[in-house]
Amino acid sequence: MPVRPQAQFRVPVNPAEAAEPPPILDLPLLVATLALLGLGMVMVASASLATAAGEEGAPFHYFVRHCAYAASGVLAAAVAASLPLSLWIRIAPWLLGAGMVLLALVLIPGIGHEVNGSRRWLRIGSLTLQPSEPMKLCVILYLAGFLGRRSAEHETPVRSYMATVGLLVAIAALIVLESDYGTTAVLLATAFGMLYLGGTPLVVCVGPALAAAAGLGTLALQESYVLERLLSFTNPWADPFGSGFQLTQAQIAIGRGGWFGVGLGEGVQKLFYLPEAHNDFLFAVLAEELGFVGVVAVIAVFLFVCLRAIGIGRESEAAGRPCGAHVAYGIGLLVAIQAFFNIGVNMGVLPTKGLPLPLVSYGGSSMLVTCSGIGLLLRVALETRRGR
Amino acid sequence: MSGGSRSSALRAPGRRYLAVSMLMASALTLVGWAVYLNLNHGAFLQEQGEARHLREAAIPAHRGKILDRNGQPLAISAPVFSVWADPTVFVEWSGGGDPDKKIDALAEFLELDPAALREKVLSRSDREFLYLRRQLTPAHAERVRALAVPGVGLRREDRRYYPLGEAASHVIGFAGMDEEGQEGVELALEARLAGHPGSERVLRDNRGRVVERVERLEAPRPGEDIVLSIDAQIQHIAYQALLDGVKEHRAHAGSAVVLDVRSGEVLAMVNQPSYNPNRRTRPAGGRLRNRAITDVFEPGSTIKPFIVAAALESGQFNVGTVVDTTPGTFRVGRHTVRDVRNYGVIDVAQVVVVSSNIGATKLALAIDPELTWSRLSRVGFGTGSASGFPGEAQGVLNHFSGWRQTEHVTLSYGYGVSVTALQLARAYAVIANGGLLPRVSFVRVDRPDDWLRVMSEPVARQMRHVLEAVVAPGGTGRRAGVPGYRIGGKTGTSRKIIGGRYADDRYISLFAGIAPMSHPRLAIVVMVDDPSGEHYYGGRVAAPVFSRIAQGALRVLAVAPDDHVVVTRRVHLRSEGPDSPLKVSAASGALP
Repeated sequence: MPVRPQAQFRVPVNPAEAAEPPPILDLPLLVATLALLGLGMVMVASASLATAAGEEGAPFHYFVRHCAYAASGVLAAAVAASLPLSLWIRIAPWLLGAGMVLLALVLIPGIGHEVNGSRRWLRIGSLTLQPSEPMKLCVILYLAGFLGRRSAEHETPVRSYMATVGLLVAIAALIVLESDYGTTAVLLATAFGMLYLGGTPLVVCVGPALAAAAGLGTLALQESYVLERLLSFTNPWADPFGSGFQLTQAQIAIGRGGWFGVGLGEGVQKLFYLPEAHNDFLFAVLAEELGFVGVVAVIAVFLFVCLRAIGIGRESEAAGRPCGAHVAYGIGLLVAIQAFFNIGVNMGVLPTKGLPLPLVSYGGSSMLVTCSGIGLLLRVALETRRGR
Repeated sequence: MSGGSRSSALRAPGRRYLAVSMLMASALTLVGWAVYLNLNHGAFLQEQGEARHLREAAIPAHRGKILDRNGQPLAISAPVFSVWADPTVFVEWSGGGDPDKKIDALAEFLELDPAALREKVLSRSDREFLYLRRQLTPAHAERVRALAVPGVGLRREDRRYYPLGEAASHVIGFAGMDEEGQEGVELALEARLAGHPGSERVLRDNRGRVVERVERLEAPRPGEDIVLSIDAQIQHIAYQALLDGVKEHRAHAGSAVVLDVRSGEVLAMVNQPSYNPNRRTRPAGGRLRNRAITDVFEPGSTIKPFIVAAALESGQFNVGTVVDTTPGTFRVGRHTVRDVRNYGVIDVAQVVVVSSNIGATKLALAIDPELTWSRLSRVGFGTGSASGFPGEAQGVLNHFSGWRQTEHVTLSYGYGVSVTALQLARAYAVIANGGLLPRVSFVRVDRPDDWLRVMSEPVARQMRHVLEAVVAPGGTGRRAGVPGYRIGGKTGTSRKIIGGRYADDRYISLFAGIAPMSHPRLAIVVMVDDPSGEHYYGGRVAAPVFSRIAQGALRVLAVAPDDHVVVTRRVHLRSEGPDSPLKVSAASGALP
């Protein structure tokens, strides 16, 4: 059979009509991912050189670590992409169980590691792990397995849906206990999005989703700092040097950036004005230095990654691989929701919440998890196209 | 593919379309918000940013140098670094695990106790700026910088250095930590020396560090360099000579002044005890005083040339007129004046040469008190030098209308009147330059202005001959001589007043002189306060110091030797007696 090069880039809608050899990798997704990783390295370097020199005494402190995380991420993605998806789906319940144990461990004083007043980390030697991050993947894999099995049945009792929703609520509760409302919200939004795309009866997915949102909101308001953040979010300029500090500084960065930005490396807000400039507020630094053009580009790339994931999911579904499809939907939703959430916070559309910008901002756990997710996506596409 | 195994999204694509639509709507919302922020709030946000980033900062202006008359630096500013800490950052950082070693190292470099350093920072943890150590040398500062302790920074400053150290400390004075003049010339000429800082708009990071200089608002104006009248070499020579003299005679203090008699410039002014102005610790008041200008003493016999000059100017006497000092004591009212021994009948010149108290008394009593007073007053007794030097004393010369007889008598051999070393030097400069009162200056004088004549030229010339005889071999001031030069001068030894009474064994030892006699250039006064060694006569203690200073100064100024021919001295010496301190009779123990 003659090999035509352009066939590599053609996405077959139905494997039945794919007479050409299947493309091994989803190149557009790979390119978009690598673009985000590269942009992250540049921006982390720009945002952290001055602060790292001031705080750590080594300008490349954060940059070097970020590069190491990115390299580990690429490795993790390669591993995820080379193992059969069925393996992950099979062990998903176990992973979920282990993740829940870790989440519970974090809550035990003496084991959980506290940073900035929140106990969200486990410390193993010099490494710290935030269990809520891998939990995102565990939930996606577990739900994908659950939805995949469900589609094989003719009739699924509502009872089994409710059991799954109950499990989600339990996991959410554990993360809420770490005061990590942002991660909880992202996780629940992703999970219910998967249930919705998975054809779950509306009464099962929309009802609990609304209830979860209401419950999360009520719980969050119990904590004074959340309320304070919410209030300052509505008008950060009422107290620009107190509760509105982060938001006003982020907005100033965006305002300074204008349409075309002040130029890469020329930003001022990263110089100790913006807290977490290389981390949760990296997008604001990007907006200041690259301007509106950069903002639109980043949003577009994230949207593209998400749409690509949904496309991969559709292919997989069409190929009769529901588990892979649900994994792809889940990861697409996770990346997009978290990215838009982070960008919304940076631009002052959403209340401040400690969420990293996937693939771009500094942070080991998030980097490994998101890269693994992309690896799984590539695996889904690969398995679909190989028809195995 | 059987229908039963079909997935839901494919079966119901509406859900997927809805999800995709929502994601796209979210993305569009974010983009729209970015447009809205830029369009509606861009200017406001940029303004807010500038309000936070831009500050007006001072541009330091360098303080002027102080130079000696030949341009050699006496006070210069050199860069140093002050170590500061931002306690808000430092405390947070040091709260972790590892930093202990760094804090210990920092404390060691700063020569502070680690616990004290911690305490210092902790106790001010509410502030954002705190000096840990001021003014380290650049090399020292580099070691601190290398530690890179978070929240600890360096600030470049200027610090004054005084190359002559303690040799010139009293004249130059010193400037404080922030380069503000506090003593001496540094204080007196503060307005000219001080730089006027400029200002600029700077971009700062949120820790106050300047990231970028945006625009200059006002240029800094550096201070003026000031050229003093001081000659660093003569200053150094004078300091060493005085120090040796004070040490040798275990004296309490001492001063020496070298005046250029033709320009009124102070070429050197030194004191003991002194201090090193480069040291951080400020000395006690006694060391700080520029005694040559702030402390007065009774001039003793060094006043006699001016009494004799007044007598000569009265027309009643000439240098050859004889005075009978027999038998060595002379009773005036209840007061007895004594000479060291009976000098017999001597001429007016001899009164100065042998330093006869009786002779001086008789001359003074013979002439109009007003004349004595006015002649002393005109050469500067009782009036400040107007040098502008901080803390200058005026000295005391009571008006003749209030003189009691005792006062009139004691004045003639230098009691009941007080002067500073500078005043005495100025008075001797009058004799040296032919009768003109110099305007004393601490800055270099390029063209001296006209001075007031306060002594007739012939009298001044006659007095120079008299003074030269004092230093001639066998005279009381012979130890003031300098080989190769003709020197003139007068010794003096005055008793100190301790607790309101003249003490029996505490003296001020003086020598005031002129060099060289052929073309007088210098007037030099040496005062040694309370020598406690074997000797206390001015001729033994102060004259050798004078000799060393004069010799050095003449060499530095390249003054040609004028004693290579044998000079016929017009005043012939008949006796060689030590200089005579006042002997007070018991009845008049409590002189003013």
